[in-house]
Amino acid sequence: MSLPFPLLARYGFALCLWFLCAALARADTGRLKIVATNYPLAYFAGRLVGDRAAVEFPVPAADTDPAYWEPKAKGVAALQKADLILLNGADYEKWLPRVSLSKLKQVNTSAAFKDRYIHTEGVVVHSHGPGGTHAHAGTVYTTWLDFEQAALQAQAVAEAIAKKRPEWKSLVMENLAGLKADLLALDADLRSAAAAQPNKPWLAFHPIYDYLGRRYGFDIASVHWDTDEMPPPQEWEALKHTLAGHPAKWMLWEAAPLAEVAAKLEAMGVASVVFDPCGNRPREGDFLTVMRANVENLKAVLR
Amino acid sequence: MHDVYLAWRYLRHHKVRSLILTACLSLLMGLPLGLHRLLDEGEKRMTARAESTPLLVGAQGSAVDLTLNALYFTAAATPIAMREVERIAATGWADPLPVYARFKVRGQPLVGVELDYFDYRGLVPERGAMLALLGDCVLGADAAAALKLGPGDTLLTTPDNLFDLAGIYPLKLHVVGVLGKSHGPDDQAVFVDLQTAWVIEGLGHGHAGQPPSPAGAGPFAEAEARAQAKLVTYTEITPDNLDSFHFHGDPADYPVSAVIAVAHDARSATLLRGRYLAPDDTAQIVQPPKITQGLLQNIFRVGALFDAVSLLVGAATLLALGLVFALSLRLRRGELHTIFLLGCGRLTVLRLLAAEIVLLLLASGSVCLLGLEVLHRHAGDLMRRFFIS
Ligand SMILES: [Zn+2]
Repeated sequence: MSLPFPLLARYGFALCLWFLCAALARADTGRLKIVATNYPLAYFAGRLVGDRAAVEFPVPAADTDPAYWEPKAKGVAALQKADLILLNGADYEKWLPRVSLSKLKQVNTSAAFKDRYIHTEGVVVHSHGPGGTHAHAGTVYTTWLDFEQAALQAQAVAEAIAKKRPEWKSLVMENLAGLKADLLALDADLRSAAAAQPNKPWLAFHPIYDYLGRRYGFDIASVHWDTDEMPPPQEWEALKHTLAGHPAKWMLWEAAPLAEVAAKLEAMGVASVVFDPCGNRPREGDFLTVMRANVENLKAVLR
Repeated sequence: MHDVYLAWRYLRHHKVRSLILTACLSLLMGLPLGLHRLLDEGEKRMTARAESTPLLVGAQGSAVDLTLNALYFTAAATPIAMREVERIAATGWADPLPVYARFKVRGQPLVGVELDYFDYRGLVPERGAMLALLGDCVLGADAAAALKLGPGDTLLTTPDNLFDLAGIYPLKLHVVGVLGKSHGPDDQAVFVDLQTAWVIEGLGHGHAGQPPSPAGAGPFAEAEARAQAKLVTYTEITPDNLDSFHFHGDPADYPVSAVIAVAHDARSATLLRGRYLAPDDTAQIVQPPKITQGLLQNIFRVGALFDAVSLLVGAATLLALGLVFALSLRLRRGELHTIFLLGCGRLTVLRLLAAEIVLLLLASGSVCLLGLEVLHRHAGDLMRRFFIS
């Protein structure tokens, strides 16, 4: 009793092909899906894994601040499909208590420096034109504007990915070293520039620069202004009062203010400096180029 | 063959007597068999459920209540704080799956879980979708049938627990999905997100006007804010008011009734159990397989007692049946004498009687089998109704 060899070979070949197809299909569905709730984290994840994983950032247009984004039922369903959900933490994802997401897939990337979150007292409610009101209260969430903290967040992302895909660990850690070097270079650059003018009073258009101020020694007083709006007269009056006790020469903006606002500030002896927090994907460049431009902007006035 | 025919004719002639005898005999056979069938079923299910839930963390107190609460959503368990979940996660030895089974809604257990629970138990929606937003619920297959609800319907949570002082907040839940049948206690439950359970408990709410600072505002600020805006607390979560829903206080203090700890391996499980050895710990760790073994031993003891009782009852019944036969033989003396006179031997008479007994046994045997078959179909429901509820 012997099977004709060609028949056996043919079946064997078909079987091998089938196994190969099955393996490929599995490899494809097994592609790691990472979702980040702000652009800096999406950038970090992208640098760490390259094309090996699908890194998604669900917040739509570039002019939406992800801190004020809230997923709808469909968006939640998309988030639920992720293998890893990268959170900024520090009360950034205010929608989190209102949606159902796997806790085991969530990673709070700022957990390592939880005890160093900056909390603001009181509730400041203000309106942005017809768009409604929003409040700045509780925890300051722009944690990545302290580049040392940003490096810690990148590390948390790397560890979370390595835990999900142990076989990528050495590669991810290698990429992390490069990313950290970039972030810490920015940190060193800004620190040496700031050292020239220690503890100088600054103004900020929004209370989002507290970590930047703490790390680099800027004494920042914040107003609640918008980049595309002329503040009402009482705001200018209040600013005069602030300046009397806090003689700032520079004001931080996330984007260039209206020319008339800049001119009015200039007349009061306050120069406008752009420092884009880059919470959403920039129209051009990436996180690093935007941050480098920010640092250059600061260096220009600190010189 | 004539014997059987004659016996059959005889039994048909004395219908009532035959039926009573059949009923007695089938009960005699069926009861112990049925009970053991139920016990086996119960054992199988309880063991399977417990084996799939190797470690449970809950408040100090009755380990049995804790196990029944977390596995079957019955029995009240003293709640523990959410920080226990953090504590387990921080060890890195196990994945914590919190379960909050405290309330009932229209007779079905209302269970607050996180999405990971569904992954762990392999529960997927058969109709509709998974929980997505605050106020959503998914129904177990049996719960959906009992409540006659499906995706798109709403379900109002009303306080079943009248004597619960904390009260429960009437909230209109949106049914978004119905889970596939799992043949376990999950089929009975109405599942909500843990956060929705806390809204029902009154720990989170939504109201018109600016929500006060969620962190560090304290009870005073909240009272003041409420008074200022004469806040209306919503009883339904809609897309329009969803973003006004918020929680007060430290989430680490929020209650859950138990935490399933899914240890990564045997060593991690042992290490984790070691963490709960301190006598002054407010939490305890229990092993459901051991707890259910203890429960099952009790059930088997009851089963053994029943066997002894049914043995005695059976003996008495058999004696009674013997008496019935003896008496009927005396009544049938004339008839038997006629048979004898017709030229049949004593053996024929015996064969006739034996055929009667065989027919009766066959009839009651089939009744008994039929009963067991029916029992087999409904074993799950029966067991749930009588053993674990
Ligand atoms: Zn409130």
